[in-house]
Amino acid sequence: MRRIRTLLLGLLLGAAALPAAGAFSPADVQEHRLDNGLKILLLRDASIPNIAYYTFFRVGSRNERPGLTGVSHFIEHMMFNGTAAIGPGEFDRRMEGLGGSNNAFTGEDITAYTDWFPSGGLAEMTAMEADRMRGISFEPEVFESERGVVASERRMAVENSNDGLLDEQLRATAIAAHPYHWGVIGWMSDILSWRRPEVMDYFRLYYAPNNAVLVVVGDFEPAAALELVRRHYGDIPASPAPPPVTTREPEAVAAKHVLLRRQAMTPLFKLAFRVPGTGDSDYFALELLDNILLKGESSRLHRRLVREEKLATAVTGGMPVNLDPYLFTIDVKPVAGADPARIEAVIREELERVRHEGVSAREYQKALNMRRAAFYDGLDSIGGKALQLGLAEIYHGGWRNLFTLADHYRSVPHEQVQTVARKYFNPHTATLAVLQPE
Amino acid sequence: MIHKFAFGIVMIAALGTAGWAAGFQLPPPAETRLDNGLTVLTLRDDALPVVHVTCLVAGAGTAYEPADRGGLAELTGRLLLRGTAGLSAEALSEELDFLGATLAVSTDTENTWLNGRCLAEHLPRLLEIMAGSLTAPLLAEDEFIKERNRQLEQVKAIKDEPDDVIELYARRTYFGDHPLGRPGLGTESSLPAIGHTDVRQFYRRHVRPDRCILAIVGHFDPAPLAARLMATLGAWRAPEAPAPELGLPALPTPPAGPVCLLVDKPEATQANFMFVAPGFPLGDAVEPAAEVMNTIFGGRFTSWFNTELRIKRGLTYGARSGFESWRGAGVLLIESYTRNDAIGEALDLTLELLRKARRQGFAEAETVSARTYILGQFPPQLEGGAAKAAAYARLAAYRLGFDHYARFLQRVDTATTAEVNAAATKLLPGSGYALVVVGQADAIGKQLEKFGTFRITPIAMPGFSEAVSR
Repeated sequence: MRRIRTLLLGLLLGAAALPAAGAFSPADVQEHRLDNGLKILLLRDASIPNIAYYTFFRVGSRNERPGLTGVSHFIEHMMFNGTAAIGPGEFDRRMEGLGGSNNAFTGEDITAYTDWFPSGGLAEMTAMEADRMRGISFEPEVFESERGVVASERRMAVENSNDGLLDEQLRATAIAAHPYHWGVIGWMSDILSWRRPEVMDYFRLYYAPNNAVLVVVGDFEPAAALELVRRHYGDIPASPAPPPVTTREPEAVAAKHVLLRRQAMTPLFKLAFRVPGTGDSDYFALELLDNILLKGESSRLHRRLVREEKLATAVTGGMPVNLDPYLFTIDVKPVAGADPARIEAVIREELERVRHEGVSAREYQKALNMRRAAFYDGLDSIGGKALQLGLAEIYHGGWRNLFTLADHYRSVPHEQVQTVARKYFNPHTATLAVLQPE
Repeated sequence: MIHKFAFGIVMIAALGTAGWAAGFQLPPPAETRLDNGLTVLTLRDDALPVVHVTCLVAGAGTAYEPADRGGLAELTGRLLLRGTAGLSAEALSEELDFLGATLAVSTDTENTWLNGRCLAEHLPRLLEIMAGSLTAPLLAEDEFIKERNRQLEQVKAIKDEPDDVIELYARRTYFGDHPLGRPGLGTESSLPAIGHTDVRQFYRRHVRPDRCILAIVGHFDPAPLAARLMATLGAWRAPEAPAPELGLPALPTPPAGPVCLLVDKPEATQANFMFVAPGFPLGDAVEPAAEVMNTIFGGRFTSWFNTELRIKRGLTYGARSGFESWRGAGVLLIESYTRNDAIGEALDLTLELLRKARRQGFAEAETVSARTYILGQFPPQLEGGAAKAAAYARLAAYRLGFDHYARFLQRVDTATTAEVNAAATKLLPGSGYALVVVGQADAIGKQLEKFGTFRITPIAMPGFSEAVSR
């Protein structure tokens, strides 16, 4: 989940400005919806003779429950392991034979299947994608083998990674009630004991057309593409609407502290504050504050911790991209032997400064400029455009809002940056996680 | 969570494999050479109001640093952005951030790269800042000490991540004292040996206009750009002394039998392994057939290697192989990881696949599929301004020609199964390889015995193991 969080954050990060001449506009995007609820966005872009074909499902670890943690990510894997029509592994073999490749990622709120292939492969890829939305076979033998792959992935990303292990502890400590409590990979004991019928029920409920958004960007004829989509997806039945996630994390009332002792060359340090989801009116102000504190070598925390105090080699983290309240994390890579208490004191000093004095006009303008310039990084490829459209659809209330995100940043009053710092950076309810080398 | 290893990344890292689909040309850039020898390549692209700028400094890479100053090239590169004649280190980062521009430096085996990106209206200022970094870096002593310490900390931190560290041990084991065996970051003992004057000397010797290739791709007006370049970089004088030769010393003889190293990482719950075997130099004629061969063997998701270890047996999250090539040398890397109790099984399977591929070769249908795959995956790899600028700089630095990818793809398209099988026999190792395992020695040592005599080094030991004499 570490990698995917970075991906989402990094790509959305720049969502700041309406592209000028030459870039695409809302008029270039066609929106359709099938009777079964499948939403389709088509954007023709012939800059390379390829197509990016992205399927987003509104499902992730947020929709799971104890015993089934990690199952959204497991289904992501099983989507490549056979349907009634094609055998295990056949999806990949056919796709690579067409000159295509694919990947997929699962986050807390969404799962996305991402295909890249030469234009000539559109008909076959549409058929194969529709086929696996219709149903996957979950062959018992394949189910068990893939369970092993996911366990290996967890060992790599969590048990065998100090950073991954500390992230998991931080999350589980800071979030008590909401499903963000567990990571996208899930707990090892759940991975080792998922039961096939429950996984199949989960699939039927969440991976239906009415819970999906299909985004196709690239070198194709939109009318013909729509016809293909209608033909292959049209008769896939809708499922009942998934139940809403009703658990709300109770208000943070306590400061919490995780101390992990492990063999390591250097310590690790993370400090997290509860912040709202993407739909909140404070969201964009917090994103600007993220820039001011953490982005770029001139950011306040980089300057203090890395340059002046020499306590760290890097400082990362910042605002999460999540539907529900999650964590603004200040993630420090300390130098060997650095005193975590000193790191904490410096961060608290800097946060107090923002809380009391606010940020300068130049810093505020700098944050706006950084957002604007970085916005275009996400639109540099057909895959980037498909991703941004899909993320805006899910996280920002509709794909059209991709084109107005710049206004949201610009309309944040300068003073609001200080207001949100006061509101959310409360030292008495933060969670601190430290790894000390043994 | 991500479903797969990024197989494409292995491919693009091998330079020759990144490019344009058959029949689809990389647009040639406009090419100019300033009087001081600096090469400028430009391509106007109005798709976005953004410009990407790359400067490749040929020969300022790790392989060209003195043997007893490991990490010097990386350190010198980093200091280029730590203040210039006109801007202090703080002012430089503040201004870049204020513009929303990025400028980063990276150093690889043979070259140092400056990569920048800005809004179109800020191009003049970004070029000025970049020119300052190249022509008049302060290389101040206090910044030198700060950055050297930071690099030293990073050497320690990287040892906590087996995925990142294994290639450093593997290259050291395979290449020994040869420059290609050096870790770019340096080591715990080599970094303290670097003095402030070493940095100044390395800069003077290797960062010079006749070794720089500047590539600019994006939304800009060519006429003012030319004037701006003359104003910022035109006055930079090359030193009187000729530029140092580019080229690496003769390679050590490849090992006859397995050379094995076990890096003991206590508490590791899984074991990473990497084989290193001889590859081919950049631009070598075998490259197209070799890439088709590798695509089938370990270069994509449905490759033999990933199918056997991941898809069929669930032993790992990913298993892959790929070539890395430099001037006059190259290697094949084969890597994966698995849980502690399965490392013996994973290594047996890997060696069996290598034997099978060498013995029986690949089927015609596999060749066809792999050729189509390489052709189909090409265009996205050079999409966008940053990728194009980097490709132009590389093609020029290695004198491969801007039609290199077109020619490469044409030869991929016509590679026969016989050629692909010949590449397998030539390049997939029988017994002449280095094998490095990073894992918990107590838990896996017994299983490794049958694969060779493993030297054991604790991961906490400074450096990335001493060279193996052979």
